[in-house]
Amino acid sequence: MLRTFTLKFLRLVLVVLVVTFITFGLTKLQPGDPVSKIIPFGTAQQKAALTQDLGLNEPVYQQYGKWLGNFLQGDFGKYYDSKQSVNTVIKTSLPVSLELMLYAQFFALLIAIPLGVTTAYRAGSKYDRGANATMFALLALPNFVVALLLAIYVGAKWQLLPTQSNVIPFPLNPLDNWTYMLMPVVALTLGQIAVYMRLLRSDMIATLQEDFITTAKAKGIPTRRILWRHALRPSSLTLLTVAGLNVGALIGGAIVVENVFGVPGLGKRITEAILAKQYPALQSYVAIIAILYVTVNFAIDILYSVLDPRIRNARSVA
Amino acid sequence: MRDPLPDHGEELIHLMHDSEARSDVPADSVTQHFAAVSAGTVKAKKKGLTIGAWIAVGWMTLLILAAILAPVLPIPDPINDANPLKAAQGPTLNHIFGLDGNGRDVFSRIIWGARNSLFIAFAAVITGFIIGGALGLISGYFKGRVGGVLGALTDILLAFPQLVLALAVVSFLGRTVFNVTMALAIVSIPILARITRASTLSWSERDFVTAARAQGAGHIRTMLREILPNVLPAMLSIALLGIAVAIVAEASLSLVGAGVKPDVTTWGNVIFSGQAYLREAPSMVLFPSMVIFFTVYALNYLGDVLRATFDVRESAL
Amino acid sequence: MSAESFAESSATTPSSDAPLLVVNNLKTYFKTDRGLVRAVDGVSFTLERGRTLGVVGESGSGKTVLARSIMGLLPKRDVERSGSVKFEGVELVGADNSLMAQYWGDQMAMVFQDPMTSLNPVMRVGKQITEGLRQHLDISKDHANQTALALLSSVGIPEPERRLRQYPHEMSGGMRQRVMIAIAIACGPKLLFADEPTTALDVTVQAQILDLLQTQQRDRYMAMILVTHDLGVVAGRTDEIAVMYAGKIVEKAPTKVLFSNLRHPYTEALLSSIPKISDPSHTRLKTIGGRPPNLINPPTGCKFSPRCAYATDKCRTEEPPLSAPDSDGHQFSCWFPVELSAKQTSGVR
Repeated sequence: MLRTFTLKFLRLVLVVLVVTFITFGLTKLQPGDPVSKIIPFGTAQQKAALTQDLGLNEPVYQQYGKWLGNFLQGDFGKYYDSKQSVNTVIKTSLPVSLELMLYAQFFALLIAIPLGVTTAYRAGSKYDRGANATMFALLALPNFVVALLLAIYVGAKWQLLPTQSNVIPFPLNPLDNWTYMLMPVVALTLGQIAVYMRLLRSDMIATLQEDFITTAKAKGIPTRRILWRHALRPSSLTLLTVAGLNVGALIGGAIVVENVFGVPGLGKRITEAILAKQYPALQSYVAIIAILYVTVNFAIDILYSVLDPRIRNARSVA
Repeated sequence: MRDPLPDHGEELIHLMHDSEARSDVPADSVTQHFAAVSAGTVKAKKKGLTIGAWIAVGWMTLLILAAILAPVLPIPDPINDANPLKAAQGPTLNHIFGLDGNGRDVFSRIIWGARNSLFIAFAAVITGFIIGGALGLISGYFKGRVGGVLGALTDILLAFPQLVLALAVVSFLGRTVFNVTMALAIVSIPILARITRASTLSWSERDFVTAARAQGAGHIRTMLREILPNVLPAMLSIALLGIAVAIVAEASLSLVGAGVKPDVTTWGNVIFSGQAYLREAPSMVLFPSMVIFFTVYALNYLGDVLRATFDVRESAL
Repeated sequence: MSAESFAESSATTPSSDAPLLVVNNLKTYFKTDRGLVRAVDGVSFTLERGRTLGVVGESGSGKTVLARSIMGLLPKRDVERSGSVKFEGVELVGADNSLMAQYWGDQMAMVFQDPMTSLNPVMRVGKQITEGLRQHLDISKDHANQTALALLSSVGIPEPERRLRQYPHEMSGGMRQRVMIAIAIACGPKLLFADEPTTALDVTVQAQILDLLQTQQRDRYMAMILVTHDLGVVAGRTDEIAVMYAGKIVEKAPTKVLFSNLRHPYTEALLSSIPKISDPSHTRLKTIGGRPPNLINPPTGCKFSPRCAYATDKCRTEEPPLSAPDSDGHQFSCWFPVELSAKQTSGVR
């Protein structure tokens, strides 16, 4: 058990290292150096001095090592021009993005699970076919389309909710926080519902064919309890893994949605950093996303073995 | 499941490559999308295409024809036929989809957008298809160390949010059609490699492959003549969905300001330019969004039909 | 039958005078793409309290469907079930699932064929036992746990405290089947179905499980329907035996009578396909020629006629009815029954 988890953990560390190194290497490949970007009208000496100053003339691996050392000590670097600390930007923007993704994930599962369970139970019925067709259409609806539709109608036309949001931190004013978050969350949630619901439904249909469901029925357990206590848990393993891996899609979605609504989250900051060629900042953002993603999936792995005792056992044997 | 690990090389590969624990679970957004799309279908459908499939084929044919014929169609130029006096108009008889912020015909821009967006998506996925397919075939066929290392590499590439990867590549390389295509190709390579590898692994165990080998067929011949035809349906149905995902990704990139530069008309750029006029002329955003929705829907549908026809099992992915 | 008429009949007749189970002309058809599968096609019998009935037949004879149909454990869709099943005088055909749920586990229970797949893999064994208890009997959690513990020891599971906390995959097949039995008998049902309870088990534990079923059945005065493909299994363990072929009972008799005086050629064929200890080793096993009956397009006349050594033209055109019970309670459906002790018959046990 311990050994498998250690192996898994090492693997995750490896993923983070490789990903950050690749992005680091990419920053070195790009045309137009950051120095000319920072002081476009500087003299050759000034540029050389700044290059020296930023350590840009050292070999890539040395720069990477330096960055990594700082990163591990909690120093995420500075913006080239404003000298603003990346740490402070992360401190304000990461919670916003996390909140957005957390809500989206929560509501997507909250809606998808009952839908998946009930449609599986009534597979083939009108209700099932209707829900399924709706979800199939939702799969084809990119989140930016939802975001724009909301911005056009709810935001601009009917003016029900504020668009250009200036998210109020939740502890300061929960209600304001929610009104600003509502549209981004909906935009991010809809597509996920479809993914989760359809996967859970097909797994549930398979589980409901299992012998142990008949056993439960033969015990006189009510249908509702069979669905939720007997069938859901063994059916939720794929869902769980997908929900974990989906954090990647969620991050991508958050970047788009934050940009459409102007939510000051990490996604918005990343695109800003990319456009402004703020590589040290970008490097740290990418690393944080990689760590976030990898941590979620590590947690899912652990949860996996909680949900399925067979895996727990197999692993402890291995 | 886990065999004792013979040496450290294997251990490292094993450490990096962890697909066996959850081999039946979609590992990336496209496969996941695929699993979700195909999750509703009961089993293989009857022979012949349904009405829905015909509509989807019809829509895609129309779109591709329009994209190819864009230069000869009697439509205004999407970039230069600007009329600032009539900027941001809603639909009229002359301009059925309205005019954009520079007074350019949105209908024409959508058709030219199809030309560029579809080109980017198809080119990206075809590149991913060829490179990823070759990698997957090789790594699935030569199990051992080659396969392990390649598998580990794809896993690492997949272990990263794909839009962020595409964003990074485009921003590092520059916002040209070629670079956006390359960025999306880089994203699709590991996805197709993984599917092909998994599928190849299961097919290369079959008796007829062994038989072909026993009759003296070479590795390359066995791979191309015996395995590839069987792996192809899975690859194709994933690729169809990959095109849909690439279309959305192109638009997403443009929307966050990191797509192709605005002087090339793509669907993403058409939407991006409309974002500033949500109140005055929502049609600028609505029409291209609708077209993207129909296209993605059609591709999803066809991908699912293909999967059902060839009975591609999700677990093979 | 609708829910109202069910309620009506249940209000009128639940009496202890009525026989425990009366099955009358029960039919169960499945609608499939290829046609209507007549899995159970007019079965009638009566089972008294505390008695045991063995239902024997090849796979595809409809015996498992019969058990499930009596209990009402059938899929919701594409199933036609008609006829009558009276449990203590209460009609069960047409009762809806929520009403059946009061019977399931409480009045009648089932031990399934494959203990590897019949237990919930992600629920502790203890929970799977107490769940039914708490559903039907109004008892506390502690009480339920105590009962589960007692049940586990009574089905012969060592270290029951530890086993209660285990998951099914931590147990052997035989152990799991014991757990299944514990689950089935937990609420003290009056009728226990055992559907091929030993088929999936190692030969060495088959007899143990059968013995366990028998002692539990006697101790608790349950009626039991033992479904099996193996005449040898039911030989010493049931009061009566019904032999099924193509969804029908073709011969039914008290166990002793059947073995000493079988009349149906199919029963004869079944019996002769059991290897005997008296046979010299490496004796070629006798098999029943031909294929099991097609339940979608059954042959005309006697369903067994295509495979029957004694079949005549009459057999192929006219279907023999099930005869009225003779003085021994022996019934069979055959135009040309096997003569008394004409062939080798005894020898099993």
